[in-house]
Amino acid sequence: MDVTVAVEDRGTQADFVAADLAGKYLTFALGAEEYGLPVLKVREIIKVMDITQVPQVPSHVRGVINLRGKVIPVIDLRAKFGFPPQDYTERTCIVVVDVAMAGARVMLGVVVDAVSEVLNVAAAEIDHAPEFGDRVTTDYMLGLAKVKGTVKILLDLDRVLGADRRFAAGMG
Amino acid sequence: MESKEWAPDDELATLASDPEMMGMFVTEALDHLGTIESVVLQLEGTPGDAKLLNDVFRPFHTIKGNAGALGVTSVQELAHKVENLLDLARSGKHAMGPDEFEVVLQAVDLITIMMQELPARVAGGAASDVTARREALMDAVDALTVGGSSAVPPAAVDAAAAVAVAVPEAAAGGPPARRDEAQSTVKVDTRKLDNLIDMVGELVIAQSILAEDPALARSADERLGRRLSQLKRITSELQRNAMSMRMVPIRQSFQKMARLVRDLSKKSGKTIELVLQGEDTELDRKVVEDINDPLMHMVRNSVDHGIESPDGRAASGKSGQATLKLSAFHEAGNIVIEIQDDGAGLDTDRIYAKAVAQGLVPEGTQMAPADIHQLIFQPGFSTAEKVTEISGRGVGMDVVRRNIEALRGRIEIQTVRGQGTTFTIRLPLTLAIVDGILLGVGAERFVIPTFAVRESLRPSPAQVHTVHGQPCMIQVRDRLIPILHVGDVFAVPGARQDITAGTVVVIEDNGRPVALVVDELLGKQEVVIKSLGESFEGVRGVAGGAILGDGRIGLILDAGGLVGLMGKGAVRQAA
Repeated sequence: MDVTVAVEDRGTQADFVAADLAGKYLTFALGAEEYGLPVLKVREIIKVMDITQVPQVPSHVRGVINLRGKVIPVIDLRAKFGFPPQDYTERTCIVVVDVAMAGARVMLGVVVDAVSEVLNVAAAEIDHAPEFGDRVTTDYMLGLAKVKGTVKILLDLDRVLGADRRFAAGMG
Repeated sequence: MESKEWAPDDELATLASDPEMMGMFVTEALDHLGTIESVVLQLEGTPGDAKLLNDVFRPFHTIKGNAGALGVTSVQELAHKVENLLDLARSGKHAMGPDEFEVVLQAVDLITIMMQELPARVAGGAASDVTARREALMDAVDALTVGGSSAVPPAAVDAAAAVAVAVPEAAAGGPPARRDEAQSTVKVDTRKLDNLIDMVGELVIAQSILAEDPALARSADERLGRRLSQLKRITSELQRNAMSMRMVPIRQSFQKMARLVRDLSKKSGKTIELVLQGEDTELDRKVVEDINDPLMHMVRNSVDHGIESPDGRAASGKSGQATLKLSAFHEAGNIVIEIQDDGAGLDTDRIYAKAVAQGLVPEGTQMAPADIHQLIFQPGFSTAEKVTEISGRGVGMDVVRRNIEALRGRIEIQTVRGQGTTFTIRLPLTLAIVDGILLGVGAERFVIPTFAVRESLRPSPAQVHTVHGQPCMIQVRDRLIPILHVGDVFAVPGARQDITAGTVVVIEDNGRPVALVVDELLGKQEVVIKSLGESFEGVRGVAGGAILGDGRIGLILDAGGLVGLMGKGAVRQAA
């Protein structure tokens, strides 16, 4: 622990290797912020469609959709990250991703405000996410990418959603 | 003995280098072993039947050949010995008797084990040591071939074996007479199959969306209309075909029971004739897989508890040979499987006494015989005085019932004391499709399986009863039924609040009715059930999702879960 303190208390900084994170990211907007997802986790992007609600689940779990014969859950990242709700627009998309939930690979839809582009992020542009105190948890951030004067938050979706293995678990 | 030595690990080199080949070898061998077993059981009835003998001989020969080619000497040697015996029988030099059948069946069992464990052994994993069993069995076969027909000297055995190798190969060259009986099949990964079925379902939906497109509806082009209906015919034919690929005959399960009954009757000394009916009845692949264990348990139960000993049967004036009948047939959109014995029937008094002794019912409870019989499905119930090898393995009838209910089936008992017991299992035709009623609530669509629905009605204000100002019950004839407002439970925006403006669907689970309040009934529909995935496990009242005609998902309501929700609500209100 002493060692960590000496290195100006950067938490898990020791585990952080920017080079491992360099690569292609799909970037998207939530409110005024820009986020990035490793592109290898993304299967496809579809326009927002009718979502069938499922009862007894947290509010960020929007329900299920029919993706060509497969039923997949849909998560609203605005709700998950505590943004105020907003009506879906022309630009609202569902990003279909592969997520590891409790060891199993699960296909999952993620509702985002708008998809921007696929971005090549170099190791030099990636920073470890600092601690923001109790206001914001950074557990599920891979890091921060400073590209073209903006900051993109790189997400580790397995961590964002991994804890949700059973959406209805808490309901007994 | 020296000649039979084999080093378990030397023989696996070829296989280790080619796992795919090993997989094919194992599945094929297991298939053959299944065939052999069922034919041997038939052969026991008509030991002289040359055609049946051939049908046992040929697969043994194939197994031997494959094992030899892949260097699995242990299997090859054993198969070879048995093949010799069978060949002698085939050429009329050796009569097949009970000992011979026993040896052949034991060889089938042993090779089955060796085959099943082969991948583990190749991978260097643990496998049971079958050497001793194998040696003993091979000696037994030798004893039979030599001792059983002294007219045939050992040298002749070898000569016969050499001939035997040649014969089936020649037969394989020209098409054997019964080739057409054996259906030609292809093995397909079940995931590929399920994917195909998914995609066909989507095709059907895409087709119906297209057919209902307003632009097409407005068009008066006759040719276009004809082409569209051609497309529709093809898609629905395709769908029927795809669905039928999930269906397999129950034959295999029944044949396993034939072997089980044979072994049980040997062990218990009870003479039992097993009658199989409707082996060709087809049901969902998953159902066939999952019905095996319950079936096996119930057959064991029937032999162990139901059927009396020969003396007992004689005492009650029955023929010494008991009959156990397994039948499968379609009835009213269900598959029915019956297990019928002509044994002693359920002993109502003893079951009751046991249930009281085990604390399942309070002493002095008045119960109808039918209710007492239901007690055997209670967890922890066992009438077995002693745990025999046959039953009492810790799997109770409660597990049987749970397994069957997991397949959305039901189990019933009819029993007459002294005359026998019939267990009737009713299963849905397929797990993939459910016959449902489409309910509209707000903009959402729900599906309730038709089997759960008792009736539907539009209640008049006089039928709705309130408690503390809340509408809580409706009266249907002289029954008061609690209300469950689907719009409220599922938080559907825009659901009608006024009960009398909507429709009420009365569902029932385990005899407990609940009145579902919905906006409207939209009709009957067969829907394909899709699991919502592990993520939504634990959501109560929902059995899955159905992809509706417009491509959207409607939740399939689970009657049991909804009735359970009622209970929870009631507790909360009381607290």
